[in-house]
Amino acid sequence: MVVVAIPPPYRGPTAGADRIEVPAGTVRQCIDAVEARFPGFRTQILDDRGRVHSFVKLFVNGDQLGADALEIAVGDGDRLEVLAAIAGG
Amino acid sequence: MSSGPQGDRLIRVDMTTQTATTEPYPDAWKLLGGRALSARILLEECDPSCDPLGADSVLVMAPGVMAGTSAPTSGRISMGGKSPLTGGIKEANAGGEPGQDLMKLGYRAVVVTGQPSDPDKRYGLEVDESGVRVVEADDTKGLWNYALCEKLYERYPKKASFISIGPAGEMKLSGASIACTDEKGRPARHAARGGLGAVMGSKGLKYVAVDAAKRPVRMPADRKPFFAYSKDYTKNYLAGPQMFKTGTSSVVPVANMLHTFPYKNRTEGQSPDAKTLDGARIVESFEERGGGMHNCMTGCVVQCSNVVHDKDGNYKTSALEFETLTLLGANCAIASWEDVADLDRLCDEIGLDTIETGAAIAIYMDSGGMEFGDAEGAKRILREIAEGTELGTAIGNGAASIGRKQKHKRVPVVRGQAIPAWDPRPLKATGVTYATSPMGADHTAGLIVNPGLPPDQFARASQESQLVNAVCDASGFCQFLQPTIPEIASYYSMLYGEEISREQVADMGWQCLQDEWAFNRGAGWKDADDDLPEVMKNEGVGPDGVMKFDVPKDVIAQAKQQRFDPRDELFQLKATG
Repeated sequence: MVVVAIPPPYRGPTAGADRIEVPAGTVRQCIDAVEARFPGFRTQILDDRGRVHSFVKLFVNGDQLGADALEIAVGDGDRLEVLAAIAGG
Repeated sequence: MSSGPQGDRLIRVDMTTQTATTEPYPDAWKLLGGRALSARILLEECDPSCDPLGADSVLVMAPGVMAGTSAPTSGRISMGGKSPLTGGIKEANAGGEPGQDLMKLGYRAVVVTGQPSDPDKRYGLEVDESGVRVVEADDTKGLWNYALCEKLYERYPKKASFISIGPAGEMKLSGASIACTDEKGRPARHAARGGLGAVMGSKGLKYVAVDAAKRPVRMPADRKPFFAYSKDYTKNYLAGPQMFKTGTSSVVPVANMLHTFPYKNRTEGQSPDAKTLDGARIVESFEERGGGMHNCMTGCVVQCSNVVHDKDGNYKTSALEFETLTLLGANCAIASWEDVADLDRLCDEIGLDTIETGAAIAIYMDSGGMEFGDAEGAKRILREIAEGTELGTAIGNGAASIGRKQKHKRVPVVRGQAIPAWDPRPLKATGVTYATSPMGADHTAGLIVNPGLPPDQFARASQESQLVNAVCDASGFCQFLQPTIPEIASYYSMLYGEEISREQVADMGWQCLQDEWAFNRGAGWKDADDDLPEVMKNEGVGPDGVMKFDVPKDVIAQAKQQRFDPRDELFQLKATG
């Protein structure tokens, strides 16, 4: 299983859950798996064309993913982390 | 190993006699700085029942503990006093150079008391290696902040930095800010919230000029470990995601998605103009126009401050922040970031809090005073503030003031101070902060962006966030560096060459809140009033308007009634504002 770490701003759809376990697959499949259990999660990560929002950053085991993030494979025991910029100013 | 910074002093300025003196800084206060130091001085030396704009009021300017050192992003300065908006204690902090320069000279705080007998007189305070003195400054009367600084740079060295007020502060308007010059000498960094510019104006103090000349950075006791720690800290920060690399304005789409991008005087939580107000548009402008991201103060590694140019490639303003794009943009249904940039510059010039002023203009629009979306009208109103017209004065005095004038019912304020962009309806724990913080509705006092937080955790999350932010605002570190309490404790330990535990630092944060709550009790604040206005409870945002602030008063009260036992999570929590 892959652990998807949910940042605080995105815990509305997950009803406060901060990590969700999903089957191994690509990053896109992991996001879809979270969406299947918690509708509303995916639109926080992907835009209406299915691309990662510019304000979202994805990490696997601490390494930041690049332009091909959604197709990267994540395996059992991996940690997929979602980060979103939050600040006032 | 030495014992760290030695010979620190405190500047005392008596504006009744226009005299300035210095005295040794109490050793007992060596770990107090910024907000915590301001709170302690105000609690001990300012009658909380005083008129905030009267002679008995006290204004404190206190850099954080780490300011003036080589630690990254650590030079913020706190302004503290009794707020003419909330009637309680207020701290507002800013980046820029004055905090660094004061500390390089060894001055831990400037404490301003008294009031000149002639309210038409203007004065400046000079701080340099030769000492401190109050000087006459009638020739600066009425000057807007940028023109003022240009004039001051003719008088003082190019390396000097300034703390100043614009016309709004001189007119003692409750929305007035205090400006600090940035690395380029521009008065673009504002300690904005709570109307402390009016307190400075009430003392006839137009500016403080700080010339640290070639003074080196403050030397820590444990030099080698300190420098190594800073090097690693910076390296790790730069190797990380750098979430604020494109500025706070890049938060717009996230905030809009979370229904915390208020539209039309907070009648909705999302704006149809989120794309045109998105900070990404500002970043896109850099290529053709110039401008870009920069550090607002020496030694900053975050570099979240944008420099915005106009279509001709000339400097327009800095920094155009998320809160400004929300309150002066979306909340007024002004769709163009360029119009908001104009409004931001006007606010910086006149010396106004963009949050308070944006909220006030939106209320004026909502009450029928002008059309929503009228950007030129909004600019005209800002100029009217500087001219002192009846309407300008009502807006310049803030959201509650214009609400009273217009007899309008939808006035989103807490204890007289406008609610920031971060909305307490989708972010209920942040609402608990607005209700209980000694700062009132101020997101920098304890922002919790966690819409899925279970209700039984609201109070604890708010209290912990308030505590961590109080610690950060005492340290001089910027909240956007997001230091944890243990990291700040490590820095304090190396600065003074003695073991300072994370628990001690957390206790200092809690004591800061205690001091502030004590001041507010003396000022007449009642625990029973720890709540949000009815408009936040009755008018919802989000799908079908279901998001309302519905946190029971007994839950709100838990955030300040007693301290929750420190847990490990507290020491992993990052400051967020």
